[in-house]
Amino acid sequence: MNGTTTIAEFRDAILDPAKRAHYRLAWLSTVDHKRIGVLYMLTGLFFFIVGGVEALFIRLQLAVPNNHLLHPDTFNKLFTLHGTTMIFLVAMPLLFGFVNYVLPLQIGARDMAFPRLNAFGFWCQPFGGILLHFSILAGGAPAVGWFSYAPLSETPYSSTPGIDYWAIAIFVLGLGTISFAVNTITTVISCRGPGMTMRRLPLFTWMNFINSFLILIALPVLNAGLAMILIDRQLEGHFFLPFRGGSAVLWQHIFWAFGHPEVYIVVLPAFGMVSEIIPVFSRKPIFGYEFVAASTVAIVVLSSLVWGHHMFTVGMGRPMDLFFIITSMLIAIPTGVKVLNWSATMFGGRIRFDVPMLFCIAFLIQFTFAGLTGISHASAALDWQTKNSYFLVGHFHFVFVGAIVFAMLGALPYWFPKMSGRMMSESLGRWTFWLWVIGFNMTFIIQHVLGLYGMPRRIFTYPDIPGWGWMNMLSTIGVFFMSAGSLVLLWNVAHSLFRGRVAGDNPWNAWTLEWATTSPPQHENFVALPPIHSRRPLWDVANPDRPDPVVGDDQVVLPDHNKTGILAFIFSEVGFFGTLILAYLYFYAHPQAGPGPKGLDVPRTLIFSVCLFASSFTFWRSEVALTKQRRGSMLGWLGLTIALGGVFLVGQVNEYWKLFQTGVDLSTNMFSTTFFTLTGFHGLHVLIGLIVLLIFLWVAWEGDFASSRPGSAFKAAGYYWHFVDVVWVFVLLTVYILPLMR
Amino acid sequence: MLQHAINPRQGAEKGKQVCKVPTMQTSNALDPQSPQARAIYDLAIPSTIIFALIFVIVTGAIIYAILSFRGRAGEPDPKQIPGNRKVEIAWTIIPFLIVILLLVMTISAMNRADPPPAPSPDLVVTGHQFWWQVDYPGSGAITANEIHIPTGKALSVRLESKDVLHEFWVPELTRKMSNVPGQPNHIWLQADKPGTYIGQCSEFCGTQHAWMRIVVVADEPSKFEEWQRAQLLPGQAPKSDATAKGLALFQTSTCINCHAIRGAAGADLRVAPDLTHVASRKQLAAGILENTPANMRLWLKSPQHIKPGALMPDFNLTDEQLDQLSAYLSTLQ
Amino acid sequence: MTTYQFFTTAWTWNSIVLILSAVALVGYFLAFGQRGRPLYFAAAAVVFLLALISPFSALANGYLFSAHMVQHILLVLIVPALLVLSLPQSFSLRSPITHPLIGWIAGVGAMWLWHAPTLCNAAATSRTVSAIQTTSLLIMGSLFWWQVLAPREEQRLSPLAGIIYLFTACTACSVLGIILTFAPVSICPVYQHPVDRLGILSTIRGDWGLTSDRDQQIGGLLMWVPMCAIYATAILAQLARWHSSPEPEQSNA
Repeated sequence: MNGTTTIAEFRDAILDPAKRAHYRLAWLSTVDHKRIGVLYMLTGLFFFIVGGVEALFIRLQLAVPNNHLLHPDTFNKLFTLHGTTMIFLVAMPLLFGFVNYVLPLQIGARDMAFPRLNAFGFWCQPFGGILLHFSILAGGAPAVGWFSYAPLSETPYSSTPGIDYWAIAIFVLGLGTISFAVNTITTVISCRGPGMTMRRLPLFTWMNFINSFLILIALPVLNAGLAMILIDRQLEGHFFLPFRGGSAVLWQHIFWAFGHPEVYIVVLPAFGMVSEIIPVFSRKPIFGYEFVAASTVAIVVLSSLVWGHHMFTVGMGRPMDLFFIITSMLIAIPTGVKVLNWSATMFGGRIRFDVPMLFCIAFLIQFTFAGLTGISHASAALDWQTKNSYFLVGHFHFVFVGAIVFAMLGALPYWFPKMSGRMMSESLGRWTFWLWVIGFNMTFIIQHVLGLYGMPRRIFTYPDIPGWGWMNMLSTIGVFFMSAGSLVLLWNVAHSLFRGRVAGDNPWNAWTLEWATTSPPQHENFVALPPIHSRRPLWDVANPDRPDPVVGDDQVVLPDHNKTGILAFIFSEVGFFGTLILAYLYFYAHPQAGPGPKGLDVPRTLIFSVCLFASSFTFWRSEVALTKQRRGSMLGWLGLTIALGGVFLVGQVNEYWKLFQTGVDLSTNMFSTTFFTLTGFHGLHVLIGLIVLLIFLWVAWEGDFASSRPGSAFKAAGYYWHFVDVVWVFVLLTVYILPLMR
Repeated sequence: MLQHAINPRQGAEKGKQVCKVPTMQTSNALDPQSPQARAIYDLAIPSTIIFALIFVIVTGAIIYAILSFRGRAGEPDPKQIPGNRKVEIAWTIIPFLIVILLLVMTISAMNRADPPPAPSPDLVVTGHQFWWQVDYPGSGAITANEIHIPTGKALSVRLESKDVLHEFWVPELTRKMSNVPGQPNHIWLQADKPGTYIGQCSEFCGTQHAWMRIVVVADEPSKFEEWQRAQLLPGQAPKSDATAKGLALFQTSTCINCHAIRGAAGADLRVAPDLTHVASRKQLAAGILENTPANMRLWLKSPQHIKPGALMPDFNLTDEQLDQLSAYLSTLQ
Repeated sequence: MTTYQFFTTAWTWNSIVLILSAVALVGYFLAFGQRGRPLYFAAAAVVFLLALISPFSALANGYLFSAHMVQHILLVLIVPALLVLSLPQSFSLRSPITHPLIGWIAGVGAMWLWHAPTLCNAAATSRTVSAIQTTSLLIMGSLFWWQVLAPREEQRLSPLAGIIYLFTACTACSVLGIILTFAPVSICPVYQHPVDRLGILSTIRGDWGLTSDRDQQIGGLLMWVPMCAIYATAILAQLARWHSSPEPEQSNA
């Protein structure tokens, strides 16, 4: 079997014992974007059940006052796992699963730009999930909430390894997410079909493309924070321990600098889904494509500037509060305007109320509500009462569930026919819809009232305060409706796989390219593509009398995918090193007793730095030799590059050794912690670069550099190597040179 | 609601496994009892009206669309409208103006709810896992979990923490503010009328975060002065044999490593609540029990049973020891 | 003195600045006559003058770091943008200095360079250095904006490249803004202990409530948020340009 795809074949195969065994391996080793998409979704679905059961127990414990169903510690672990699971193991994989499946189809590509990277990105999911839950067996799950505030998450207050498992699991998951983003950006830039210019991209593709930049900005900041908390917990660093010179608030800044973009990272794909479904079922194009596309970019730019609204009660000072209020209120505008665009799409349409559209209508109303409560949080004065209460819990569940889950519940029956060749049951879909609408609103609307009545979040029980009892009970009852709706959905999926009505290529009469091939798509997706001159190629085919206006010109420019991919990855590293450098500077500005930068041997370091910079020059010479096909010269220069990089590393090890000899290690004071962290991670990147270069050296030695394809990968490695140098320039300036300027 | 409600389930039967949790008062952000809370409330009402209007308009438009533009199978597709630049600009500018309005209203409310702190605080509230330490720098009075204030006066409160992040929240009186270890914060605390106002820690701080409740008792200034004078007196000396034995137990066991009773004995380390006037408080263990002699005995018998995860371990005292110790502590008015 | 007194009396009628502006105005009309876009140039001149002779400038010259920051933003972002926009449609410049990398480094470098403590101090205390600073900000800002606002389409970056150009510049300036916001007061020491030539210091510290800590924080925030807002607006303008590029001949393929 040559990687022909997905559910239809799988269904036939599992009924045949001979094929069954082969199929298992085919799915486990697949690099096909469609299968990987399905795997993402299955993993997400599995953890959705896990996270849902956690939520069920939380609500059962809270249903009545003074309840003793769960030990407080168990409750605290449950809400920590629930939050972490739902965000990292449910929302992200489910959304990325859809993107993986649909995006390449929408742009007329055969697959994602880097299929093996795609598989790697997927496998980080189950492994990360297993790692997180393994903590249950290894001393107890983490019990500090999904955002793990310091100092509670530090060893003196949380001594079991649950948090370490949490940090490493999220790091692994983050790697998968970053790979996915690099892949998405490269696919959209470098793999579009003929006529598919950037201006003609469907909104689902455009939004996920822009979203990927946000992922590359935000996830590395989280990774830096995770590195720091692990260093604190395992290597006796003190980043976030105030009584040892660290700062509790610093963790909050770093976490929310990731955490706020994160919520946009999960909401933008949902916006993309809704932007596809509403036009198709209103039988009109989206109202104001350019504005919706531009507002997505505005959201990405602004979302990196709003994180302080999670910290209005931490005491940042009035000026900072004010700036974050302004940016947080501003970001409501591009977000809210989209709702108006989607609603206006319905005006003048001929609306079909199939299940996908029902969920999108609920999405619109619920997301409007969520956005408005969100603006109330942007107003710091109001936030001073509602933050950390059930009002906030209601707000963010309205976004996560009312908007994102509902969008996915609509996207599933929409694209299921394409993925499996069969339609899902309409009547079961309506049952799912109503059970979810009733259950969701029952559970979460009342929580806003509870918050105003003074109930804080994350409490395992509460006294018998008037109103709290019945409101919590109502909230709990809603969970049963949502559970029932989920069961109906699961049954619908299973049943429809085998007995659903055959779908055909384009059951919805939709207009984007995924509907221009079979259901499910054949191997490498398309036999032929229709002509693409507008944003809705299939509309043009079906309506030659009134085609869409031609958008821009037909010329498609496809930059080299290796170059795009590595540049995207480098872009992500900026956030990582940026956070480490800023943390260094923060503690540099609050010096402590003990070793300081003055104790560093600057001249020696400069000499070794020159070696590193020289290695960039030698690498360039090697590249030139490759383009001129001079093997010997290329190997020589490459070897020299590796040697120079190695000398730099030796120099760094030497410097570390000398410091250890004088009793200066990671735990000595904040300078030493930040110094070793920053230079250590840089050294790690040099080491990884050296390994990559060694691999190239070996491949070149074996003589496999005849074609130009390795050349493009070699150039990409070069970008990475030069980037590592550029980072060292900044580290040199900040750590070694800056103190000399005083 | 300002009643001193008493939980009818407070009866202390030995060995009974019920959490005798006190009070049925509300802590309602929509019932402001101070100028600061009222400033926030005064922002909330017009904001909510604006938000409600926006919601009604948008939802109304959606419902209108659903009702007016139903399609039927087989119908041809309608006119394909790509957009309307004027409409787009209008519905970008209008939200922008609303945002500016909200911003101005917010700034005004923030200035009223949270003016800059006084140069030196009237009250220092320090968060611990899982109780509140309350100091009055002016008079030197020290208590725990229950804060007394005079009515009609704005008190400048400094918030600190000895361990992890906590958050001080009494919805009817003031804004939330975090207790950040290593970074003192400030709020203003004031009550218009005498009464009892409840609140709670609202930043997750560990196992018993749920039971870190706050009770603010506002009295007429003269009554407050009376209370404060009483707090400054040393702990009442034992008057009976049993209570004397109780004091002896306190002084010779590890109690004094963490707790202080002024005039009797005890640590000055502030590791655990000051017990000099423990019997004068309404609740025990930051709100988990109503303060009665029977409940005091229950607590001493097994703190970990009542509040698992609290930093006070079980001491496995005998029944006799429990009688004596609880008798003594219950005299400390 | 009171706030009102200050804003009505502290105008520095700097003759050099006024003369240079007048010369520039005349020079503009001589060079471009009617072909230029005089409104933009006039706007540039007005903003320039406001930045340098208004009471605001008095605050920036040694009193308030945040005022200095506003002046900086006006001189490196607003005035140069208006200047480049005022060039006539036919204006063309082919030179190595119009390489995008140079423009980027100029724009970002202008911010970073003048916030090195020694340079920042010097510019606030010495008139010569201040003049050099102003001139360099105008030139470097213009080089930066040339890449996205040059009058001829082919001399500008393509819209998508322009977005990356602007976004990375925004990030680079944000980093500096973050550093300034969170650093203790030492970036520009002269503002910590201003020399009270005008007798306004008590009003600043008292009525306006601006301690030097708060002042530096506000300065950092101004570099961060409003600057990013300017870049964000430019990004949106790029997107608008991209979407409205002329349609090809209808080929009905």
